[in-house]
Formats: sequence, C-alpha cells, structure tokens
Amino acid sequence: MTRVGIRALVVLLLLSCAAPRGADEPRAALPASAPGELRAPTVFAVAFPDRAERSRALFLEAARVFLHPRCKNCHPDGDSPFQGDAPRLHDPPVLRGPEDKGIVGMECASCHQDRNLELARVPGAPTWHLAPRGMAWVGKTPHEICEQIKDPKRNGGRTLAKIVEHNAHDALVGWGWAPGAGRAPAPGSQAVFGSIVQAWVDSGAECPPEEARR
Amino acid sequence: MTIKLRVNGVERVLDVDAEMPLLWVLRDVLDLTGTKYGCGQALCGACTVHLDGQVVRSCVTPVRRAEGRAVTTIEGLSADGKHPLQRAWSDLGVPQCGYCQAGQIMTAAALLAAKPRPSDDEIDHSLAGNLCRCGTYPRIRAAVRKAAGIADE
Amino acid sequence: MSERAPIRITRRAFLVGLNVGLGGLALGLYRLPPAQAADAAATGIDPNAFVHIASDGTVTILCARSEMGQGVRSSLPVLVADELGADLARVKVAQADGDKQYGNQNTDGSSSVRLQAFDDLRRTGATARAMLVAAAAKRWKVKPDSCTTRDHFVVHVPSKRQLGFGELVADAARLPVPKPDDVVLRPRQELRHLGKDSPHLDAPLMVTGTAIYGADVRLPGMLVAVIARPPVVGGKVVRHDARAALAVPGVKKVVLMPAPRPPWAYQPWGGVAVIAANTWAALRGRAALDITWEAGENAGYDSQAFRAELSASASKPGQTVRNLGDAEAALARAARVVEAEYHVPHLAHLPMEPPTATVRLADGRCEIWAPTQDPQDARSTAAETLGLKEDQVTIHVTFLGGAFGRKSKGDFIAEAALLAREAGAPVRLQWTREDDVHHGYYNAVSTQRLSAGLDDKGKVMAWRHRTAFPPIGSTFSDVSQPNAGDLQQGVLDLALDVPNVRAEACAAKSHVRVGWYRSVYNIFHAFAIGSFVDEIAQARAQDARDTWLELIGPPRKLGLADLGVEKLRNYGAPLDQHPVDAGRLRHVIERVTELARWSQRKQDGRALGLAAHRSFLSYAGCVVAAVRDPVHGVRVDEAWLVLDAGTIVNADRVRANLEGALTMGISNAMFGGITMKAGATEQSNFRDARIARIGDVPRKLHVEFVVSDTPAGGVGEPGVPPVAPAIANAVFALTGKRVRELPIARAFE
Repeated sequence: MTRVGIRALVVLLLLSCAAPRGADEPRAALPASAPGELRAPTVFAVAFPDRAERSRALFLEAARVFLHPRCKNCHPDGDSPFQGDAPRLHDPPVLRGPEDKGIVGMECASCHQDRNLELARVPGAPTWHLAPRGMAWVGKTPHEICEQIKDPKRNGGRTLAKIVEHNAHDALVGWGWAPGAGRAPAPGSQAVFGSIVQAWVDSGAECPPEEARR
Repeated sequence: MTIKLRVNGVERVLDVDAEMPLLWVLRDVLDLTGTKYGCGQALCGACTVHLDGQVVRSCVTPVRRAEGRAVTTIEGLSADGKHPLQRAWSDLGVPQCGYCQAGQIMTAAALLAAKPRPSDDEIDHSLAGNLCRCGTYPRIRAAVRKAAGIADE
Repeated sequence: MSERAPIRITRRAFLVGLNVGLGGLALGLYRLPPAQAADAAATGIDPNAFVHIASDGTVTILCARSEMGQGVRSSLPVLVADELGADLARVKVAQADGDKQYGNQNTDGSSSVRLQAFDDLRRTGATARAMLVAAAAKRWKVKPDSCTTRDHFVVHVPSKRQLGFGELVADAARLPVPKPDDVVLRPRQELRHLGKDSPHLDAPLMVTGTAIYGADVRLPGMLVAVIARPPVVGGKVVRHDARAALAVPGVKKVVLMPAPRPPWAYQPWGGVAVIAANTWAALRGRAALDITWEAGENAGYDSQAFRAELSASASKPGQTVRNLGDAEAALARAARVVEAEYHVPHLAHLPMEPPTATVRLADGRCEIWAPTQDPQDARSTAAETLGLKEDQVTIHVTFLGGAFGRKSKGDFIAEAALLAREAGAPVRLQWTREDDVHHGYYNAVSTQRLSAGLDDKGKVMAWRHRTAFPPIGSTFSDVSQPNAGDLQQGVLDLALDVPNVRAEACAAKSHVRVGWYRSVYNIFHAFAIGSFVDEIAQARAQDARDTWLELIGPPRKLGLADLGVEKLRNYGAPLDQHPVDAGRLRHVIERVTELARWSQRKQDGRALGLAAHRSFLSYAGCVVAAVRDPVHGVRVDEAWLVLDAGTIVNADRVRANLEGALTMGISNAMFGGITMKAGATEQSNFRDARIARIGDVPRKLHVEFVVSDTPAGGVGEPGVPPVAPAIANAVFALTGKRVRELPIARAFE
C-alpha cells in the first residue's frame, strides 16, 4: 500500500475512534468551509473561546494550505519535486542540488521564470526553488509541520513575525494562489492565509496534537 | 521595448516585445538558427543556450530576462567549432539527424564547466532535460566522457 | 566568434554549391533507353545518380535521398567515391532537389541502399573512373587497363606515374561516355569503405549549428504562419473571429483554410491560419483566435471504446490471407490451446523537428524548402494545391530533424504553399509540438489474437493469427480492412515449422489519418508474435530460445507454398533474391542469445527476454534485461540487438541506427501511445506523449550486425520491431506479470 494510502487509513481509523474531547467539540462549532476557501480568523475567535484551542485550530486551517499540492509539491521529503494533484514526480526528472535550486543543466531557473507562462504552461514566480529538506511537508502531519515552522533551526532562522511576513507577502508563496494554466490553486488567498498565520502567532502559536488532521 | 544584451560576445540593441522568448529573438530577429525549436514548453531541451553561463531553455525565457546579460548559443560556443565537446561529438559520430545536438552540447558544456570530470550519474542527471528521438544517448554519454578526458573502461 | 550574416538563399548560391555548369566533368549516369528506363523505375533502380568532378579535383556527389539521421548522405556517396577511387576527404555531398530525373527519391521503407541502385551508384563512380583513366592513359600513351585509381589519383601501376583527378577533368570531359556494359565495377574487396566505418559527413555542421533544417531557411520579406486545426479529424470551422488575433502586434493576416474532404491523403488539415512577421507573433495571434468547431463524423472516437471494437473484430474470422493445412480443425482437436490478445495503441512519430516548410511564389514559379522524405510527391502535391504544373515547382530538400515516416506526407508543404499565396510573400509554416502531437498520421492502432494448438506432447500443430487494424489505405481511400499486402509485414513472412497455419485480416474502421511510422505494422505484429512465442514457451515450461528455434524450424528458404500464401509483396523485392530465410532468423536468435549469455538469464532481480523479427528483408534479434524501477515499475537495464541486413555500406551508421532502434523500441514499449477521447487526441506535448530520456536507456547497449555479402536488406527500420516484445518477455520473467497491452509503464502505475 502506498504511503498516502496508509495515512488515509490512519485518518479513517482516528475518525472512527473516540477523539479527544477538546479536539471534537470545537470542530463542530466551526462553520463548514468550501474546498476552495479558507475560513477567516474571526470565525475561529467566535468558535474557540479558549486561546490555546483557537491557536491549534488556526494552525489546522493554515495546514490546508501547507498540505495543498501547490505548496507541498515543492516541499518534498526527497530530492525531487512533485507535479500535479496526484501527485507524480516532476517530469523532466529534476534533482534538488546542493542549494535546493537544481543541478547543473537542470536548475530550477533553467526553465521556470519569474511568472507563469500561459502558452508554454510552465509555472513561474520569483526565485523558483525547492524548500530545503528540513522544510519537507510531504508525508508530514500538521503537528510535524507546526513544530518545523516554529523551530529556528529548521525554518531558516526566522522569528514568528518573519514567518508571518513570509507567508503573507512572499511572491513564491503567493504563487500557490495564482498557479496558472488550469492548475488548482491553494484554498482562499494569500491575504487570508497571512491573516490566519498572524492570528495563530497572536494566539500563542500552539501546535495541534499529533493525530489531528483537519 | 528596447532590450540590450550580448549575444556570442556581440552587443545587441533590439526593439522587441519584452516577453518574446529568447528562442525567437535568436532565430527570427538575429537569424541565429543553430538553436532549435522542439516543444515550446521546456520539455525537450532543443532550445538550450547559456545565460551568463547558466543553462536556460530559450523557448520559455522571455528576452527581458537577458537584459544586460550575456547569451551564448551553439554558434558562439567556440570560435572554430572545436570545443572539446564538438570535437568529441564529431569523432564519435554522435549525431544522427542532428536536430537535438546543439541543445545537448550546450547543456553538456555547462556541465563540464562546473564539473570537469562528471560521473556517469551526473551526466545522465544533467542531460535528463535534453530529448533525442533518434536515440543517440549512448554516444552522447561517451562523447561527454571523452571531452572530459575520462578514459573508456 | 563574430556574428554570421543572415543566410540568404538565392538560386545562384545553390548552383554554386552544386558546382554545376562551371566546367569540370559532370555525369548524370547513363540514360537507359526509354523502355528499359520504365522497367528500371518500376523495380526501383535509379538510372541517374549524379557525380561532378571540378578542375580543382573536388568531387561532388549528389545525394538524391533525404537525410533524416539514418546516415544516407554518409553512405550512398561513399559507394560512388569508393568505386571512383576518390579520397573521401575531398568529396562533397550535395542534396538533390525533388526531380524525376533522379529516379526514386522516396526515402522510406528502409530502401535507400537496397533499392537505390546499389549497382547503379557504383556504376556512376566506375564510369567516371573509366573516363579519368582513359584521359590519363591517352596522355601517358599506355593501355587503360594498366591504370587504376586511388586516393584521388589515376595511377599507372607499372611505372607508378600518377595524375590527380583535377588535372584530368578537362580532358576526360571531352571523351565519350562509355556504354554501361563496357564499364567494369571494381571487385568488392577493393571498395575501401564498404562494410566499414565511414565518417559522419555532416557531423561538423550539426555540432556547430550550421546545418540547415526546414525552419532555418531565411528569405527576404519572409512571414511566419501557424494554423489552428480542427481538433477532430474531419471537423470543420463553424465560425471564427479574428479581431483579437489581428490586434496582436506583428500579425498580418488571418486565413480560413479550405476544409479537406475524405479521403484525407495529404490535403491540408483545414482550420484557421495566422500569418505574422515572426513566430512569436503568429503563436500569440493563434492563441487569440476565437473559433467554434464542428466535430464531424469522428466526434465519437474513443480509444477505450474502440479497443473493444477491435477486440470483437479480432475474435471473429476475418479474411484469410495465409493458409496451410487446416488450422481450425487442428485447433479443435488440440490437446491444449494457448491463446492471447495483444493491443498496441496509435503511435506518433514525434521527430524532434516538428513539420515545417518554407514557400516562395514569384514570377509564376513556386520554390519550396522543406524537410521532406518524398520530394517528388511533395512537389506534385504543391503543384496540385496551387494549380501549377510540376515544372513550375522547385523543391529543395533540407536536413530533416528526424522523420520516421511523418515527413513522407506532403500535407504541411501543401499548407505552406497555400499560405504563401495568401500572404503574397514567402511564408514559413511552423507546426508546434502540440500540432504535431494532435494532428498526426499515427501508426495504426491494433488488436491481435493469436491461438496455438498443442498436441499431447506439447508440439505446436496449429497457429492462427487474427489481426485487426485500420490500414494505411484508409487514409487514401475508403477501406476498413487490412489486405494481404499489409499483412506481409510480419504475418505472411513469418517462418513457421507448423503444419497448420492460418492468418486472417480483420476489419477496423479508421477515425484518424493513419500513416506509417518506423517499421509500421511490424511494430505490433512483432509485439504480438514475439510475446506469443514466449507465452507458448511458458505454457510448455520450456526455454523461450528453444521454443523460437523449434517454431521457426530448420534452416531453409520458404517459398510461397511453404508459407501458405498466394503472393508476397516482400517489400518490393523478388522472393528469389530475398527469400524468407529461416536460417538467417535462427542465426540472429542464436547470436543475440550468445551475446547476452542467455544461459544465465534468470538472476536475482534481473531477467532476460528474447524476440526476433524479419522486416524489410532483414532479420533482427533482440534480448533485453529488465530490472525493477522505483519510478516506472520496471526498467531496461541492458540490451542486445543483432541485425542481419546482408551487405551494408557504412558500418558506423548501421550501428548508430541499431542504437537508435533500441531507444525507439524502449519508447514504444514503455511509454508510447496516442489515445483519443471525443474524437480528439488526449496528449499534447512531451509531458504526456512521452519518449525515452537519457536515463531510460541502459548504459550497456550492445549492437552488432552480421557481416555478409548477400544482397542488401533494409537497415533503418528492422531493428525496431523485436525490441518491444523482448521487453515484455523480460518483464514477465522478472515479475510474473504478462503485459499484453502497450505502454508497459501503465501496467505498473
């Protein structure tokens, strides 16, 4: 069975078991979200009076972006990015390289430009490159991603404020919502995403429990 | 839009659409037809040139990206057609139809400039973006090794 | 390196390049008397090979076949040069325009060496040699037969005196041309390069970017065109709005192309064309077109559904084209029946150079530059399209950036001709890669059912082969049934030592333009037969190699009666010159399995597969080693290919060809396939119309040709057919999974 399959099975099992009280109740208080949308921070303020719970729930919302193919594909655990929604390995075959920018003759910037190309169908954004291995999200839980994002050793030495700024304003991050050529964008918008991450930091930057998925 | 760039060592001032891919600037504006069109989507590598020494697929590189920078095409790889790769390519009879070979050589040239003695895996990885429909891959590998001075086993 | 001036093509430049009409000795070989000439053309002999020797000694040999990577320019002229005694370093090759005077120029069917007058090309060289020798002998006052030629000199053997070709040319040109019967060919062993490595004449051009391909021609005032073609074959433009396209800077004109009427042949495809100042503007203009299409009669064509239709067709009796004994009865009484169905999808050529052509109309004349495999046919297609006479059309043949059969079809040239007229200026028509993938003359899609009846000792007593595919004929007329001529490719010429054999052609309607693609029907016939022999071996728990040799039978030449066929097209060659030779098929199997160390075929994590096939009068045997692969499931780790093509000319080009055939076979087997949905092609570029990348081709690739002086068979195509079945067989041996449908990678997704 594939890794994705195992994870799906685990999720199914968890959902069918009694979930920790704290995680279950508040989820029911959150309004439903359309697949392509992100819930605004205000919604979480209403649904979660408890600051820590609110924080965890906000991160889970942000994780819908982190774990979306447009973002996850370039945060691989191995040496090759992914493509598409399945996802499949990037074709032509490319490798991470010593600086996460590809290898000689197959640098990311050999093909990817600073913006999307419609006729050529090649996605693009400024400084197109892979997230360092330490920032791998493929195959990670929201809990693991949260720990990584908070860890200065693994987040590029950033303070939480810098994390917010990166997520809210970085152009490469922003590509996830304008991927071009019929690619499915990440949910919501960079602006809403940025505000969710801000709200998460403001509420204490708590990490969801290991078993939490949504 | 006026774009200034160096092509094969020659300063060029061009009045072109800034978004025109470098490939068409080279072929249609400058009549440098050694760089080929194969796919238009950076999937085949036939259009490979160097931008400040780095491999780019000119079919997707807007000419504005070359502003103030140096472009090298197959015509400019050597003054006399005798770059070690060009010599190895001829000696070993690498080309069949020859259409992909300018792109192959340009990528290989960037590889050898960065790694003078690449391993077999490094050769395959760096050339993975260059397609050859005639199937000259075995000889391409051998010619890169030959140009790098790596003896045959 | 300083910038090169743009290349300007003028008539004069071509004449200068050809060195014609500037003195020296020019030979357009002997002209056969009209009756003989007609006969010669019918059998493919070309009476008008062309050689020119200049006063500086430069020998220019015309190559009247298209160079598409098979190395014809480095092979045919070598024959002439060897016969002449020229120093290859002082030989130039010029490319012939499309003109009937050059005989058959259709570069197709692996025929350039075997049909392009092997003897007649030599005779041209020998005639020139005879005249140079006569001139020297006269000057020295010696007997001509005391002289010979070598290294660009005429040499008087006893005295060792010598004179260079250039010095003799003026005298030689005044002498009468000897009659063909009076010209003596050298003994074969004196032909220096025959069967040996010769240099790749054009490599220096190709590695410096100076070789001129179809899209590299530059003419003053030239415009560029691209066409939006109907997504479904037979579809039409209902309405179109060109305003946005015309607003794109550089776009000059938008033209509604005439809609073709079936049968399609090489008619332009229809649609809407954008003519612009440069390629980028044309592409942008096309993207801005607003077109409503009517899909037409093929709108419902769906590959999945059609597969079921083909299967149904191949499950019923078809038209019998091979019959020995009574296969039906033998199957009925067989102790055991082995049966399997094989499916190969449409395959696309995907040459690295998409189709393109440049046309200039001026003063009632049409001048074309195109990468065409069939310049004479393209010439008449263009003439017909424009309503001109053929002698008002000149067609120059550029280098072809790969072809594999795609560029035999003159459709893209007809399109360019129309647009040049519309533009009132020279036009280069550029097909994009998407155009090439969507609108191809695909190799026929096929389903085949093979049945073998075994007796109680496991001996194969009956063999029945049903093959269903839309034939190439459907592109040219209303046929939906392969015929005996189609089945000659691998079905009728299969040597079998089985008493009851039957082959049937089963109907299949075409919904696309079906064309020929490197080895054509042999691709799927070899896949089915090659896999089936292996399945018989499995059923009998026997070594596949033994099964092959047992099924082929003892070394012998099979005639029509032995095969059970009424007639065999035999690739245009007389059966007595090119028999179905079981011994040669056995030999390539024996040799390739020896090379591959077949006795050690099953190792840990690595397994070998074997297949062999006769095509284009040659015999090829292939073994591949398959291993597991994390990305594609399986991978070819090593491969061996042995070709018996009889006499060969340029050994190095033959080996290169085989290396290429292995790669193309891997592409066909592992990744190939064009599929259709709602009448339109689903694939669009190399992203989904995948071909092998360097990492897909094993580092250990072993190719070999049999050294032989039997009459030349084909080289360009025969290496391809046995590769896919060898891979499928290796995959089975490795994984236990029998893949009967290509591409193999899909079975492992």
